[in-house]
Amino acid sequence: MGTVHARSLDPLPMQGPELGVQADDMDLGEPEHEEKQEVLENKDVVVQHVHIDGLGRTKEDILTYEIADVFRAKSLIDVMKKSHEARQRLLRMGIFRHVEVVIDTAEGANALPNGLDVTFEVKELRRMTGSYNTMVGNNEGSMVLGLKLPNVFGRAEKLTFQFSYGTKETSYGLSFFKPQPGHFERNFSINLYKVTGQFPWSSLRETDRGVSTEFSFPIWRTNHTLKWEGVWRELGCLARTASFAVREESGQSLKSSLSHAMVIDTRNSTILPRKGALLKINQELAGYTGGDVSFLREDFEIQLNKTLFWDSVLSTSLWGGMLLPLGDKPSCIADRFYLGGPTSVRGFSMYSIGPQSEGDYLGGEAYWAGGLHLYTPLPFRPGRGGFGDLFRTHFFLNAGNLCNLNYGEGPRAHLSKLAECIRWSYGAGIVLRLGNIARLELNYCIPMGVQSGDRICDGVQFGAGIRFL
Amino acid sequence: MSLAAEAFVSQIAAAEPWPEKATLYQPLKEDQILLSDSASSLAVQTFLRMCGLPVQVSCCANAEYMSPSGKVPFIHVGNQVVSELGPIVQFIKAKGHSLSDGLDDVQRAEMKAYMELVNNMLLTAELYIQWCDDYTATEISRPRYSSPYSWPLNHILAYQKQWEVRRKMNAIGWSGKNLEQVYEDVSQCCQALSQRLGTQPYFFNKQPTELDALVFGHLFTILTTQLTNDELAEKVKSYTNLLSFCHHSKTSK
Repeated sequence: MGTVHARSLDPLPMQGPELGVQADDMDLGEPEHEEKQEVLENKDVVVQHVHIDGLGRTKEDILTYEIADVFRAKSLIDVMKKSHEARQRLLRMGIFRHVEVVIDTAEGANALPNGLDVTFEVKELRRMTGSYNTMVGNNEGSMVLGLKLPNVFGRAEKLTFQFSYGTKETSYGLSFFKPQPGHFERNFSINLYKVTGQFPWSSLRETDRGVSTEFSFPIWRTNHTLKWEGVWRELGCLARTASFAVREESGQSLKSSLSHAMVIDTRNSTILPRKGALLKINQELAGYTGGDVSFLREDFEIQLNKTLFWDSVLSTSLWGGMLLPLGDKPSCIADRFYLGGPTSVRGFSMYSIGPQSEGDYLGGEAYWAGGLHLYTPLPFRPGRGGFGDLFRTHFFLNAGNLCNLNYGEGPRAHLSKLAECIRWSYGAGIVLRLGNIARLELNYCIPMGVQSGDRICDGVQFGAGIRFL
Repeated sequence: MSLAAEAFVSQIAAAEPWPEKATLYQPLKEDQILLSDSASSLAVQTFLRMCGLPVQVSCCANAEYMSPSGKVPFIHVGNQVVSELGPIVQFIKAKGHSLSDGLDDVQRAEMKAYMELVNNMLLTAELYIQWCDDYTATEISRPRYSSPYSWPLNHILAYQKQWEVRRKMNAIGWSGKNLEQVYEDVSQCCQALSQRLGTQPYFFNKQPTELDALVFGHLFTILTTQLTNDELAEKVKSYTNLLSFCHHSKTSK
């Protein structure tokens, strides 16, 4: 929220009305003189100067792009609207703590009678901020220590260092982000990281040390990201009782891959959206820029939401992916897809669907998963308008399949392989929304189509995460 | 392994007969394997041959990482994975095959002592020559060890292994030695073995034991592996009864 103060244009000696305006509300408040309000609305104005006060290390050239639009305003209402938009743009660069706008009559030697001066009073963020958070990921919790240096060189570059100690993973990462001046959506970032993970469903331990650079840019209504990543992967057995198939995958490898991702997101919210759709397509090609592993991987995610009668939402989603190993080496367990668990096909244990060996799940090279959900407010709507709005009941139907394809055969054979032995489940539960990032679910699930080797979790299942089917 | 785990493994192992598809894993023979690993692997293969147990040899670039103890070779028998000669001998014994049953307690103690001598002297000397001698490390060990991997991982792994071995040499006090002293130690070890062997075909007269397998593995590999110079092989060759022992063991069975 911010306040826009506008002084009266008329130089009459009486006190001009002090008009305090809320950012979302363009109403001019209580005018003392009605004739003056009309005059203000219709009068043509010219914005002569736009000042930005309070700059320290920020370079001015990046800010001129954001505030350029204000100069094109023609009436007072226009000035207020455009300066509000400029304020939003200045805030989203992530370099100011707050921004206030002051609109005043132009002063100085060359001031026109209908000239205006707009001043943005800004307060920059501190040079370095530290943070301590706890995070909930996909069924794990962690403690995160962060160090952030916003606006390092004055053009909205950001340097972050993060250290995370969790129940399953320990990691650290260093990241440098730089947007293009004037086009904040076009940016690039460089990351350096080390991540360790333990995967008990496969009896596998993985340590990744890597470096990646990515470019993001919008094209029309889509957002694209191009990324190169180089990772040194160390795989090992989590326990002495790991199956021999997993033991054979232990060792060191180097993956160097180029990937491209396209996202179209018209939903109104990331968690529990009420309307809109999401389309995400991701492809990754590894092996042609060095490294030991060589594959082509595609995966996609579609989600559609529609509000129905009585505040309920119908949501459908479809996920799928395929991994094609190039060259003569078979695919690596760390590159394959996994399915099952409270965040994908509910009713099954975490990643416990598909090919397995002695109880260790090896993942598969192709998969698909679909979900149909009906979200409704809690029955009898307790806590309405407050805490109760964070909860939803949902009824779901999930289905999916994960398998290895024989790439010598044609697409018809692939489709029939993916269509046989479909696992599916249905049930109902309660969803709790955590901010705009995560959600918790408590469901009663009934798994069906269980194949031998799958591990199920029928009955009550709890899930926490950021990405749900 | 802890005592309880050992007992458990023996029970399970004893229950099953030796399968057809037992496999021994070692690093790649042509490009990757080094002298010390090759010696250990040959020792295990010889031991299994002496016991009359068939085993397939499988070469994998990641054999060292697959092994439960981090050392090669290891065998995959049924559901069990066992690495290094000592535990393998125990494992085979639990299955009912043993080469040292005919020995009395004194001889068994002697055999263990000589096996420790080979492990502490000969194996350590091999590791020293491979990784602590700069010339050998640069010309042979690092390129071979890192051959299956691509740049820059090959350099990282080779140097990591070299530092690990050098740290171990530090810990056991060998870092102060120079190459000449190490060759001297090898010579002394060979002398002790030569004296024990005498003119017998095997160390404990009639029957070969695990000691014979171990000594054959190391000596044969030293004699047939090309290093930067021939000094190590020369030290072994100077004991003729060891030479004939190798020749005899190679051609028998």
